[in-house]
Amino acid sequence: MKKIEILFTLMIAPLSVWASGGEVPLMQVDLAHDAGTRKQGAEVVLTVCTGCHNLKYIKYRDLQAVGFSQQEIDDLRGAAEMTAPIMSLSPPDMLKDTYGVVPPDLSLIAKARAGKGRYVYTLFNNFYMRADGNVDNHLFPGIRMPDVLGVAAMGEGPDKKAFQESMKKVASFLEWASDPNAEERESLGFYVLIYLIIFTLMLGVMKRRIWADVH
Amino acid sequence: MSKHPVIEWIDRRFPFTAFVKHELTEYKVPRNLSYWWNFGFLAGFVLLLQIVSGVFLAMHYKPDAKLAFDSIEHIMREVNYGWLLRYLHSTGASAFFAVIYIHMARTLYYGSFRAPREIMWWTGQVLLLSLMATAFMGYLLPWGQMSYWGAQVITNLFGATPIIGGDVVVWLRGDFVVGDATINRFFVLHFFFPFLICGIVLVHLVALHFVRSSNPSGINLRAEENISLHPYFTFKDLFGLGVFLIIFCAFVFFSPDFFIEPDNNIPANPLQTPPHIVPEWYFLPFYAILRAIPDMLGGVVAMTLSVMVFAAMPYLDRSKIPGGSRYRPLYRAMFGVFVLDIALLTYVGAQPATDEMTIIGRIATTIYFSMFMLLPIMSKKEEAWLFVRGLPQEVMAMIAEEKDDDRRRREKDRRKNERRREQE
Ligand code: HEC
Ligand code: HEM
Repeated sequence: MKKIEILFTLMIAPLSVWASGGEVPLMQVDLAHDAGTRKQGAEVVLTVCTGCHNLKYIKYRDLQAVGFSQQEIDDLRGAAEMTAPIMSLSPPDMLKDTYGVVPPDLSLIAKARAGKGRYVYTLFNNFYMRADGNVDNHLFPGIRMPDVLGVAAMGEGPDKKAFQESMKKVASFLEWASDPNAEERESLGFYVLIYLIIFTLMLGVMKRRIWADVH
Repeated sequence: MSKHPVIEWIDRRFPFTAFVKHELTEYKVPRNLSYWWNFGFLAGFVLLLQIVSGVFLAMHYKPDAKLAFDSIEHIMREVNYGWLLRYLHSTGASAFFAVIYIHMARTLYYGSFRAPREIMWWTGQVLLLSLMATAFMGYLLPWGQMSYWGAQVITNLFGATPIIGGDVVVWLRGDFVVGDATINRFFVLHFFFPFLICGIVLVHLVALHFVRSSNPSGINLRAEENISLHPYFTFKDLFGLGVFLIIFCAFVFFSPDFFIEPDNNIPANPLQTPPHIVPEWYFLPFYAILRAIPDMLGGVVAMTLSVMVFAAMPYLDRSKIPGGSRYRPLYRAMFGVFVLDIALLTYVGAQPATDEMTIIGRIATTIYFSMFMLLPIMSKKEEAWLFVRGLPQEVMAMIAEEKDDDRRRREKDRRKNERRREQE
């Protein structure tokens, strides 16, 4: 499955070269796509990010798909229904007053940025301390999101490593959230392609036979 | 072979068997058609695919500025195989243009637009325009940032119409801005146009079965060199369809977002213009021509002309030599330059409008139109040159035959007129 995907990406890679050209290049990371990784990413998102962001296209029951048990979901949702969307507890008006903008919904954010999960990962790695002591971001200068994970003050050390490991998981979860059917799509696609290739080869043979008397 | 009684019953009331025989199973096709002749069939297949996937999408889609974006996400996440429907449809739109552009390139290369196939060429031109309108309106429906701003930019262009420009824009949008009224009417028209397209396709096919397929040799084949559509071309077309579907499904299942701008996953926001508004790839060459002209009205006129100029091809190409590029090195070279130029325009259309890009865009636009403007002279000059240099005997025979036909027709007309005058 992975192989087909890689092959295909290579095939269309020359086409996407002219698609985008940002100032800060996105960091090259390999995001793991297993349920365990996603679950750990989801835990960070549900404790830190939902303080400000909604995940309105993800419902509590969807968390089962990344490995949350019923008990864990019940603890998270409190009085909310299983079918309720995951919303920030902070009122949007208050957020707007504090940050000057309502933070964007995160359930589609990976797909809404060129580079998907890599964008989110790069964004968080690019918080830095300006000379005047204020925090800014190389990828998104003037960003109104605070450096919630304290990356600017982190320096290079074990803390940074730990942050990067956990951010990869966040990015992986957000990619899943933006396209929860990707796995089903790819595994179905594998069989569809196998079927089509066999079917087309058979048609090719039949066509040759039928045309044999024409040439 | 005895007929089924039901077919028998029908045949006494409707020419069913005769139709199938005449138009399908025993319909005669030149045996030397290459795979370039596969693309009309593929276009028909994609049209069907778009209608079927579109009808099912429409069962869950909500044409309302407040609900549209969420209804697409609902289709993507909650509707059973909704993601498949949507990706078939969004990838299908790109596939449609790819297939149609190849179909047109084939026609240009082999000169299949020349007599007696002008009506085929012109119905094709109307199909292209309808397809463009359908795709443009469909692109508004997901109500993402690119949907909204694309529609905003394109409807704005109609403001360049002298005097009534402002009114035309409001009339198209149904409001002073692109909004709820716009999404509703675009949905209705996007639903309706494909059926209009089916009607035009029918005319296209009736014309085809009347004048019959041209072929890569450019010469009318002898009767025995034509073979029946079934089973020869049904299987050749089906094999081509298989190859097409492999490529198509690779995109649908493994890279469906390739054809969807990331920005279109951000809900439309009338207060925030995206830094870089780009149309879908299939509009890029025309968009580049629009931007190449500094004046808005001029740009709109140039862009419209760049699409409509194809209709003039049967008159612009004045050569009597059949077969398009087959026997005409100069025409073949011009075709090559034209294709490369369109690739260049596509590239330029995707770039931000920097000074350099504007200059390259202007050069490419000039080349685009000069190909058409030079053709009447070049085709005559080339014809004279080739007559001197010599052409295969069959080609000369065909030219003589066409000239004969022409003369005979004119003779007949003259006699008819004379008779009428005598009667008066
Ligand atoms: C204290 C509130 C707050 C928290 C907590 C927070 N964000 Fe944000 N976030 C914001 C605001 C405000 C913006 C809008 C930034 C802007 O547009 O200037 C934003 C924007 C974003 C963006 C979009 C950037 C862009 O390109 O437009 C992403 C991605 C994002 N946040 C991810 C996260 C993730 C992941 C977390 C959890 C680790 C998180 N945020 C936690 C406030 C917050
Ligand atoms: C001529 C064939 C057609 C073309 C070229 C076409 C093209 C498009 C395009 C480009 C989009 C936006 C795709 C996206 O971003 O998802 C779209 C969306 C849509 N189309 Fe079509 N379409 C065609 C036929 C139809 C038909 C026949 C119907 C319904 C009867 C239909 C219904 C819809 C609906 C409901 C949407 C919105 C859902 C979506 O965005 O995925 N389309 N179409």
